[in-house]
Amino acid sequence: MTTKMNRRGFLATTGAAAGTLSFLGTKGAFAQDGGTLRFGLSAYPPSFDIWTSSGTAAGTIKMMCHRGLVGYDKDGVMQGELAESWEVSEAGDWTFHLRDALWHDGTPVTAEDVAWTVLEAQKPDSAAYLQGQLASITSVETPDAKTVIMKTAEPQAVLPGWFASYNMCIAKKGSERDSLMGAGPFKLASVDRGVSISVVANPDYYKEGMPKVAGIDAIVYADENLRVAALEAGDVDVVEYVPWQAMAQIDDNAELQLDTTFGPFMYLTFNATKAPFDNPLVRRAIGHAIKREDIAAAAFYERGAPLEHLPIADASEFYNADLANEWSYDPEKAKALLAEAGYPDGFDCTMLSTAQYGMHQSTAEVCQAYLSMIGVNVTLDLPEWSTRVKKGNEGAYDIAVMGTAADNNDPDGLANVVDGALPLSYVRSYGLETPEISALFAKGRASFDTEERKAIYKELEQIAIDTAPIMGLCWREQGYGLAGNVSGFSNMPGQLTFYSGFTLEAAMLG
Amino acid sequence: MLRYIAFRSLVALFLVWIVVTIVFLLLHLIPGDPAELLLSGGNVAADPQAVAAMREKMGLNAPLWQQYLDHMAGVLSGDLGVSFRDGAPVIEQIALRLPRTLEVIIAAALIATGIGVPLGTYAAIRTDGKADAVISLFASAALSTPVFVVGSVVILIFAQQLRWLPAGGFVAFTEDPAEHLKLLLLPAGTVALSLLAVITRMSRASVLEVLQRDYVRTARAKGLPVRAVLRRHVVRNALIPVLTVLGLEMGTLIGGTVLVEFVFNWPGLSGYLVSAVDARDYPEVVGIVMTISVLFVLLNLVVDVVNAALDPRISLGR
Repeated sequence: MTTKMNRRGFLATTGAAAGTLSFLGTKGAFAQDGGTLRFGLSAYPPSFDIWTSSGTAAGTIKMMCHRGLVGYDKDGVMQGELAESWEVSEAGDWTFHLRDALWHDGTPVTAEDVAWTVLEAQKPDSAAYLQGQLASITSVETPDAKTVIMKTAEPQAVLPGWFASYNMCIAKKGSERDSLMGAGPFKLASVDRGVSISVVANPDYYKEGMPKVAGIDAIVYADENLRVAALEAGDVDVVEYVPWQAMAQIDDNAELQLDTTFGPFMYLTFNATKAPFDNPLVRRAIGHAIKREDIAAAAFYERGAPLEHLPIADASEFYNADLANEWSYDPEKAKALLAEAGYPDGFDCTMLSTAQYGMHQSTAEVCQAYLSMIGVNVTLDLPEWSTRVKKGNEGAYDIAVMGTAADNNDPDGLANVVDGALPLSYVRSYGLETPEISALFAKGRASFDTEERKAIYKELEQIAIDTAPIMGLCWREQGYGLAGNVSGFSNMPGQLTFYSGFTLEAAMLG
Repeated sequence: MLRYIAFRSLVALFLVWIVVTIVFLLLHLIPGDPAELLLSGGNVAADPQAVAAMREKMGLNAPLWQQYLDHMAGVLSGDLGVSFRDGAPVIEQIALRLPRTLEVIIAAALIATGIGVPLGTYAAIRTDGKADAVISLFASAALSTPVFVVGSVVILIFAQQLRWLPAGGFVAFTEDPAEHLKLLLLPAGTVALSLLAVITRMSRASVLEVLQRDYVRTARAKGLPVRAVLRRHVVRNALIPVLTVLGLEMGTLIGGTVLVEFVFNWPGLSGYLVSAVDARDYPEVVGIVMTISVLFVLLNLVVDVVNAALDPRISLGR
């Protein structure tokens, strides 16, 4: 039996997995005659560590070679990968039933490999992206070679989502953490460090007729303009991270395709360990002082949209229309809030951003201009990215510009950005405790009922609006550029845009 | 002469030691923790425990003086250490990338001298004429246009519009010689343009100066044809300052092709240096800077020796 799993449907019914695999489709011409796809990467992956989050480029390569227990189809619907079905018991234990899949070395993927993966990723030195979440798994049982049972301290409705992450792929027991020997659609062929990574189709891949192409040459084009030039010149077939200024040019080119989605977003973080940003009134005042449309225009060439609430997309069933404009541009309200907080004449502060990425700097400049209108004099601190990360982690700022995507389209994916119970990080406000929000995230994770979850996350968003643990600024389009003859590859919706590498298995050159 | 070379080499070694020491210390002074950066990829902050473990593994918890001594001991035994990022031996990476950068520079130097010396000479003998004005104007324009502008424009013309050449990238010569040369053309041409301007101006000035010399007049007076005078007496002597400048420019280019390598995606040494600094990969940065300074000093030495060979009047020892 195979399963096509829609998370929403699943959460509503808490039922056993059912259905059939829709992604198998009809048998196509097999891989080896499909040609080699040339993929323009935005950076050379700093590491291939299977469970570490090392950026988009690393994620794309990992998605070529590895697979997790579950994954997403091109529409963002959860689907089985190494697990063909899964179910949860009354007690909240998750059981995954593995399909007959093979590692690149020809040996079968077993339950023992899955158990080993979880235990290794739980180790303190694993640097696993999902280490915090995995800590709640108390045991992994393997009653037979094809069955895995995971027990958690508290029921975890979102557990399958963890195993859909490209930073939680399954590794063969005993393999090195940075090995690209997985069970994915492509096998590693060669690596030219800093230059390119080549993979070839895995003939033993568990999805029949996939991958469609004979191989992929992933070539690094760190300069965004050259990446676009390479696509236009026909040197590559697909490029990631299309720069915003080049989107219109690709869109207008009849020989190319532009595939974009709104998902990643820009926001402000605060240092809550000192005045004035320890005061929620001041944080909200900042939000009301900034006209978001100008950020979309200046930083994203009109390819952005205002974000005046928590970053929950309007297409999500967890979207709350009545809260959507709660942080809207209203300078009078901003001044009133500042006065109420005891700063009628404003104050001086520093804003951390980076000069390394144009959109981060432009966002900071627009914020600076608008804040000066309510008497807040901002001095910009624009070091290169490495220093900006360090300063963010150490709280060496008053207010900071940040851009990211949530872990997935479920509101639980926002915990990484707003949950103050998580360790100090440059992606979250510094030293800002959010006890009520943390409790609601935990409650949301433990609930299997969609309506109940909606109510929980609405309450959470309301508290966030009032306490402003972060300040939303703007959604941004995230785009892939494709040659006209590429099909099958798609930019996955919303926050899942960085998961688009999963669809490379279906990419074709026509 | 040998004594002179030995002395110069000692001074060179001293210079390299100073450079390496300064770079080592500066690296540790600038903010940014390599362990934290390595573990902070993709918008997630590293767990402090994991950072501490990583620092220990990288040897960053030892006192600075001890790290310095360890590093220097390694350098003396020919071991530049391994990359913090993926454990690749630094010396192997340099050996892989240095030839690629040298290839661009040497190709550029050949193009620049091949065109620049005749052009400069022609401008000098036609001084104040139309040709001289055009050549001087071209040289000024080429010199004042930044390489990233030239690079972007040639990509636009030759890759995006005409589609004659690839926009950038690299293929090993052993893999596909024709493709390799095609890919080399644009970066080498771009570097050559600014170099060409320098060489043209230098050749022009130098030839003009030599043309005023007494021995040129004498040569003409004794009835030697103009061509022979130019070839045997003028250009040969005028080449000395040109070569000196070329040598120095090439030295600067070894670490200065960053923009060209970036614009054309040419995986050479300078691009490697930038990514190493970005990641605060100390062993890589120190190793690359050391290589560049050794080459720079060596090139200077070579220029001196070649000058001596061209003009026996230049006395090396005194």
